[in-house]
Amino acid sequence: MATVLTTCPFCTCGCGLHLQADHGHLTGSAPSEHHPVGQGKLCARGWHAHEAPTWGPRLTRPLLRRGGEPVEVSWAEAIDAVVQGLSRILADGDPIGVLGSARATNEENFLAVKLARGALRTGNVDFCLRAGLQPLIDGVAEVTGDPWPPGRLLDLERSEFILLFEGDLAETHPRAASLVAAAVKRGARLVTVGWHQTQMSRLAARHLPVDPGAGHQVIPGLLAAVLDGGSADGAGAVAADPGLAALRAGLAGLAVGEPVREVAAWYASAARASIVVGEGALLPDEARDGAAALAMLAAVTGHLGRAGSAILILPSRGNQRGALEVGVRPDALPGGVPLDDAAVIAKLRRTWSREPSVVAGLDAEAMVAGCRGLVVVAEELPAVLRAGGGGLDALASASFVVVLDSFATATARAAHAVLPVAAFGETDGTTTSLDGRVQRVRECASPPGLARPGWQVLAELVTRFGLPCTYGSIGDLHREMTDLVPLFGEIGEGQLDESWGALVSRPATGPGVHLRTVDLGRRDPVEGPCVAVFDEAFDWGSDPSVAHAPTLCRDHVARRKLFPTGFVEMNRADADRLGVRPGWAVRLTSKHGEVTVPVVVSGEVAPGMARLPFSARDRVGVVLGGRGRAGVRVERA
Amino acid sequence: MGDLFLPEVARIASMRDETPDTRTFALRLRDDRRHDSFSFRPGQFLELSVFGFGEAPFCFASSPTRPDSIETTVRRTGQLTNALHTLAVGDEVGLRGPCGNGFDVEAARGKDLLFVGGGIGLPPLRGLIWNVLDERDRFGRIQILYGARTPTDLVYKDELRTWAARGDLELLVTVDRGESGWTGNVGMVPTLFDKTELRPATTLAYVCGPPIMIKFVVQDLLMRGFAEESVISTLERMMQCGVGKCNHCAIGHCYICRDGPVFNFKQIRELVE
Amino acid sequence: MRPANDVQGRDPGASRLLVKSDLVSWIRRLMDDAEVIAPAAGAGGDLMFGPVTDPASVWLGPGNPLQPPKQFVLPQTDPIVRIERNGGGVQVSSISDERARVIFGMRSCDARGMAYLRRMQATDLPDDSYLRRADRIAVVTLACTTPCTLGFCVCCDAGPFARDGHDVQLVDLGDRFLAEGATERGRAMVADAPFRPATQGDVVRRDELEREAERHFGDESAHLGAAMRRISTRRVAEELWEAMSPWCFECGGCNFICPTCYCFSVKDRCQDHGWERCRTWDSCQYSAFTLEASGHNPRERRKERIKRRFFHKVSAQYYQRDGAVGCVGCGRCVQTCLGTTDMPAVVAAIRKGVWHG
Repeated sequence: MATVLTTCPFCTCGCGLHLQADHGHLTGSAPSEHHPVGQGKLCARGWHAHEAPTWGPRLTRPLLRRGGEPVEVSWAEAIDAVVQGLSRILADGDPIGVLGSARATNEENFLAVKLARGALRTGNVDFCLRAGLQPLIDGVAEVTGDPWPPGRLLDLERSEFILLFEGDLAETHPRAASLVAAAVKRGARLVTVGWHQTQMSRLAARHLPVDPGAGHQVIPGLLAAVLDGGSADGAGAVAADPGLAALRAGLAGLAVGEPVREVAAWYASAARASIVVGEGALLPDEARDGAAALAMLAAVTGHLGRAGSAILILPSRGNQRGALEVGVRPDALPGGVPLDDAAVIAKLRRTWSREPSVVAGLDAEAMVAGCRGLVVVAEELPAVLRAGGGGLDALASASFVVVLDSFATATARAAHAVLPVAAFGETDGTTTSLDGRVQRVRECASPPGLARPGWQVLAELVTRFGLPCTYGSIGDLHREMTDLVPLFGEIGEGQLDESWGALVSRPATGPGVHLRTVDLGRRDPVEGPCVAVFDEAFDWGSDPSVAHAPTLCRDHVARRKLFPTGFVEMNRADADRLGVRPGWAVRLTSKHGEVTVPVVVSGEVAPGMARLPFSARDRVGVVLGGRGRAGVRVERA
Repeated sequence: MGDLFLPEVARIASMRDETPDTRTFALRLRDDRRHDSFSFRPGQFLELSVFGFGEAPFCFASSPTRPDSIETTVRRTGQLTNALHTLAVGDEVGLRGPCGNGFDVEAARGKDLLFVGGGIGLPPLRGLIWNVLDERDRFGRIQILYGARTPTDLVYKDELRTWAARGDLELLVTVDRGESGWTGNVGMVPTLFDKTELRPATTLAYVCGPPIMIKFVVQDLLMRGFAEESVISTLERMMQCGVGKCNHCAIGHCYICRDGPVFNFKQIRELVE
Repeated sequence: MRPANDVQGRDPGASRLLVKSDLVSWIRRLMDDAEVIAPAAGAGGDLMFGPVTDPASVWLGPGNPLQPPKQFVLPQTDPIVRIERNGGGVQVSSISDERARVIFGMRSCDARGMAYLRRMQATDLPDDSYLRRADRIAVVTLACTTPCTLGFCVCCDAGPFARDGHDVQLVDLGDRFLAEGATERGRAMVADAPFRPATQGDVVRRDELEREAERHFGDESAHLGAAMRRISTRRVAEELWEAMSPWCFECGGCNFICPTCYCFSVKDRCQDHGWERCRTWDSCQYSAFTLEASGHNPRERRKERIKRRFFHKVSAQYYQRDGAVGCVGCGRCVQTCLGTTDMPAVVAAIRKGVWHG
């Protein structure tokens, strides 16, 4: 029996767990008692981290599609075919790209960047879930001047006040939710902002209801209240900011209700107060400005930069922050530095012995739609693309798709070449938690069949394109990363081995706090008797590591089986008014289109709202026209 | 009992489609001697393995009075049942059991018997019905009331005709929604009670079907004067082990797989979550 | 069957002494005949039960691993049936694990937990392969002379000194251990050198330590009796269960780290030439635990599932069925609960009639 300490691969909270293997199979997961984040706790997903690699449909041999059918081949044959296929597209001058993934380790993602910018000489490198996260991070960064929002996950536990924009935190980030609950139990005031009732809203001192996906609606009011009410204690720190007057002016005359005023006063007067932005709280259109406004709220109340006061932006899955940091993005270099950073370019040139591509590339969606050649590293496109299964249709136009994955995903089935790689628990590497904790994941069992660690496969591919990748061990790779990714520079190997991983702290790169006017909620007005909205939370049921974990997949499977065409959640009052009972069909009509789905009656959804499952976006998305929400008419079908 | 979880290998001896999604499988243990000595009671169930997909509980649909055949009727609802439906005659499955308490046939001797089945709820009754019919003179009047959503959803269509043709029992069949060519009763199962004569004082009523149907049928029977002890049903729960260890099927401190699945309504009423 | 331990009629002559400097050589001798499992500091500084390779690493200081030794009789993934395809047919066979093992340095709460699990597997239809595995395990407990921070074993009659479920109990007397053989197997384990007979003074000191340890628990107790009366007679207000439910995050941790929880599911794991049917831990706190193929779920709401957990653990009905209360007072659920619905918190709420009161 083997036991290793590793990091939970799921929600980015970054809890430590002991993974167990017996006779070559992963057999168990148990929380690490002294891990600073987990502290002896795991959520249901963490407790079953060993399951998907054990029970999932694994890729065990390289596959090449011949005559439309996948054929098992040797590694040498597969790598040759991949190099030839990609080289042909390069030679033709056709667009080519690489998709990294939140499901991949930092090392795999770094090599995906090296494959794109070094080997294939393209800026087309991205991962699908970046689209939802980047605007939020950028919004905060614009105000604070720091690339990442301030604070740590553990700040929540000691916060006196927590402003939570939901999402459904208990479901998406259970450890974060548990820290919030612990704070509430200690006496902290929790305020939830959201459009439906959740587990956390039931723990809240106050719930501020907003329109679906429109958490931003309360932010101008909060800002106005602290600025008018004189509770802007920290205003001294920002008094000199030229943007302050503009901010004030922009908010002048805004009517602010009493509940919002009270919440603002709670926030301003708390010694340690945190803001948490969960998934789906701010729709993509409002994400950047909303996050910026929240950072300004923290700045004018003096919470920005105060120890124990955090702004936490929660990525939906796994290693999103790590992917961003190592440069899996078309608009920045490894380390997240600008494309024109001469020092980093010079380092890349020296280390890679080649001129790196420093052009801005296509984003993930554009790559899927437009690249003739695509290397997909552990992305299951229907799970992570906004278009859902539609993403696979777009792939059909690519002439050469290479998929590196552990599982026989739909994306792998659509590929021309499939390279089987090790799953969680079968390879070494690091991942980065939402608050920047870089932690090891470790090998506990060998990958099945001929599958190899992803970083080795990527290193071989990169080498075949003429870049030296002579990594004797993952340590060698770390040394290259440490050199090239400034953020990794602060993490010595020892730190990763002996401690719980390093919290990466970075000096501010910008000129300090920057305030400006806020412009929120003026776009995309929703008209209609009823507002239909996606439940934006990441659909774990579509993620291979949950979908193939037999204990974890049960709820997801049951829902998909019961409602193969999707469903709509409505309040009981609305259902009664329409004269429909649970399971009966209703027709939703918007300016974008119409869809007929069965009704699920839910106490969580407010009257006048219709919540559609993101997991069924392929089938119900037409009524939302590709957006997060739309006004709809609902009738009994 | 040696190995609690070890299934015996059985072969599919024959299959018969009952409805578009429901099929009856006749099983024969690979070991002839074991097959010949295999015994069970109607109302008990077996744990059926589809290798690679695990195992699940299904009631015996055949009668112990016809020991040649171990039959079970399975509707496609999930991974395991889908996989089962792809198997062919001669394919091997695993069989573990019998599990559960089963119907007390001895206690029914001399009584009038009323069988009320709904949809896929007929299979557990079918074993008991054949058992009783094979020992016909030991029992009083026999009434079988059976309903399904549509005529297509009726299971054992041939046997329904056989029973209808027998003079020693009364069979009433109804469907919720008729189809073209259907000339029989239309309406929920309880509507059949008005079309026959019930003798609550001397009758044991066996009720199997979907929970909602059981609820209405039992209410109706109690109002018509049946004693709670005389209304007998089988309970369904999510089950894994079938031997009282895994706890999935527990209600209160009872295990449906050990203390049940057959309960009379008085016992059911006393089961509290 | 494991012979019952007759604590009351304890024969002082049966107590033996082991000088601490001889501990390592004793463990090494045990390792000759069996796999010895003991707590040791593992990765990240976490105390964990695991097979001993270096007897000097065995930790007999304060503290108990967060993960109970349950995993050695009931692993999280436990192969129980081998299904092999060969030629035309399928061969099935039981997988049994009858390695001789010693679990060393277990605490009384966990010994009680192992005894509970054994009784559970032995009653009604006995699971023989479980029993064969469990009975090949000798248990050497270490009495708790200083209470742990979260435990409340005194309220469950499960400590701080072991009364059942062990073969040998060690009591730390400073520079030496008093070793009490509780079973024939246990007495044989401590019969020979380096063990020697205990003196009357050692035995007196042992009893003092036990009384002191019990006293140290003070008021830190979970009043299981009061809770049991209310749960068994269903006099816990629905509102109370309702009030708890947002404080549970449905992680299942309370079940998985509980020394007495044994719920499982059965799944087939793919192997080279067939499958292994595995018993895998499951949690009654998961919504899908009772989800039926039809989509119907009799325990759809979380409060029903919390209620279920406490009914199984502390109702008189289960006390009668299982012969013991389903809690050994180890306090692990207090640490591992992602929310606040651990055993002492819920028991206190039931007793007081108010949540977080």
